[in-house]
Order: sequence, then structure tokens, then C-alpha cells
Amino acid sequence: MVQIGLPDNSKIKKGKYFKDKTGSTNLRKVNVYRWDPSTEENPRIDTYEVDMNNCPSKVLDILNKIKNEIDPTLAYRRSCAHGVCGSCAMNMDGKNGLACTTPHKEIDGDINIYPLPHLKVKKDLIGDLDGLYKQYQSIEPWLKSNSKSETKEIFQSKEDRAKLDGAYECIMCACCSTSCPSYWWNGDKYLGPAVLLQAYRWIIDSRDEERNSRLKKVADELKLYRCHTILNCTSACPKGLNPAKAIAEIKKMLATANI
Amino acid sequence: MENKKPLSPHIQVYQWHISSLVSITHRITGIINIILITIICLWISSLLFGEKNYEIINNFLSSLMGKFLILGLTWSFSFQALSEIRHLIMDLGYCFELRATKITGLLVIFGSIFLTIIFYLIGKVFI
Repeated sequence: MVQIGLPDNSKIKKGKYFKDKTGSTNLRKVNVYRWDPSTEENPRIDTYEVDMNNCPSKVLDILNKIKNEIDPTLAYRRSCAHGVCGSCAMNMDGKNGLACTTPHKEIDGDINIYPLPHLKVKKDLIGDLDGLYKQYQSIEPWLKSNSKSETKEIFQSKEDRAKLDGAYECIMCACCSTSCPSYWWNGDKYLGPAVLLQAYRWIIDSRDEERNSRLKKVADELKLYRCHTILNCTSACPKGLNPAKAIAEIKKMLATANI
Repeated sequence: MENKKPLSPHIQVYQWHISSLVSITHRITGIINIILITIICLWISSLLFGEKNYEIINNFLSSLMGKFLILGLTWSFSFQALSEIRHLIMDLGYCFELRATKITGLLVIFGSIFLTIIFYLIGKVFI
């Protein structure tokens, strides 16, 4: 159901203010969403003054600096720091992206950092993505081939392989799905851009033999057609992919295919 | 334990951009159009009950409020129509690149204002 406001236990309060202790002249204020599951308190926004003279270029570097030098209680996911693993997806300056590939120079004024939108928060910047992973599982993201020979390579032409470009690169960081208003309001039923892009990736794979049943499976008022081409997904994708187009292609296939 | 987890902020913090703005305006103008068309139909049917009703409507539409309503309706119709064309193009699978969506979105916004002005001038000159 559409719920514009936040529930009472999610309303954000003003938090602590961490004043700079290095005496640096090049400071930036960083506002970070915090929530501690061990207390009964509401989430809060803590403000950190960060010395930018000794800080590398990305938002993740700022978070690392805060955790290492100012406040070790801050929790966030990160791993590769090179835009490959998709762990550090979060909402920075009102837009979803990977903290490790987003330069803080591109953000004007104070830097506001929130967890990915409309998720149950586990702690600080860590959102609960279980629902999304379950939906990912539901589209059966693996090759389904009934070919008898399992020892032989399944050939694919260059043209057929090229169809997977723009779909296979997805790292499932959930930036797109959690940027989508339709997914906010109907996330329990609507599959969302990330999962639908993956559904598309298996539907158009020439080696897959379950194309029609895959199409039938997503052909659902809520699972697929909740996409209203708002295009938050495409503008959020840190890998420059286009989930909205993939969803449109699935709709087109369903409109033209005879299933 | 499970319900204790707070919901992370969404529409409160998410930045608006052209295509999300066009999308939500498309919905709002759709609702406005349905309500206003219904009212117009009721007005027209009220003509069946006599000349007096015509005058009431005429007076209302000539008032400042009435003119504002007509202009607003002209705009919301123009917007809805242009935005629907944009959706049709997208349903064919075109214009999904970020730049293209920005351009078509701007075309819808400025086009609707342009059409409103055109309709206003046509009304002023010819009617």
C-alpha cells in the first residue's frame, strides 16, 4: 500500500555532532543515518566534520575515515572498493549508487548518506535485502537446458551472445530496485528492476530452452506491469545498465509472442 | 523483534529528476482530467433543464476562477496527451537512454505549456 510518510518507529531524530579534532581548515560536514538495534531509540542523523585534506576521492573513503578515525561504531557494508561487488550501495545526496565509485567532489554542500531507500534497516547503513534475494531466486537465474549431452559445449553465435550485453554485467547491488517508487509501494509483489533485468537476461539467452515458461512466469499484473517507466532505476544504476529498457523488452515480447 | 526494525527513508530523501517528475504529473493530470470531464458532462446535462443553467455556467466560466479552471484543464489535457505519446514511444522500446528520456521529458513539460498558450490564443482570437 502507498504510505508516503515513515512509520513512527522510523522517524529520524537529530543525532550527535562530532566536531573536528585535527584542526584542519578543509572540512566537510557529513550527515549519516544511524540506527542501533540494541536500543529502543529511533534512527538519528549523526553529523561528522571530516578533514578533506587527508581523504581520498570517493564517498566510501569518507566513511572509512569516519570509522577508522572518528567513530568506530558506524556500520556499513563494503568489500571490493572497486565497483565490482555491489556491497556499498547506499543513498548519497538523494541518489542511489555505490559509495566506492561515487566521487564526493560531485556532491555540493553537506554530504547526506542514507541506507538504500524503503528497506528494513538492520543497523546504520545496512538494509535488509532478503526479500530481493528471494525474488531473484524465484526467477530461477540459471541455465535450463534439456539437452541430453551434458559433456558438450552449448554453442552460441556472436550475435546471440551480444544480446546479453547490458544484462549480464549486473552486480545485484539493488541500487535500481530500491530507487523505484513502484517497488517501494509494491515491493512484496512487484519484482523490481534488478530482478526483471535478470529475468530478461535468461529469457533472451539463446542457450536456454525454457524461454516460454520464463515469460509466462513474469507475465503478471503485479510482478511485471507495475513498471510505469519512472526510470529512477536507469538513472541510479552504477554500472550504466538500463533495467527499464529490459522491462520494456519483456513487455514487448509478451505482447507479440504467442504463449 | 522483526517489527522493531525501522524503514529507511525513501520519497523523503530521494532526488527528483525529469522522468520521475513527468511520471507523477502524468498520474495527477490523469485524475484531474477524469474529475473535470465528469463535471463538464454534468454541466452539459444540466442544460437539459433549462436556459437558466446555461447562464450560471456561462457566468462561472467567465469569472476569474472559471478561466483559471479552463486554462488548468487545457494544460492538464495537453500534458496527458503528450506524456501518453511519450509512453507509447517507450512501449515500442525506444527512447530509453538517459539523455533521450531527459529530452522527451522536457519536451512534454514545455510542449504542454506551449500547447496551453496556443489553445488560449486560438480561443481569444477566434471565439
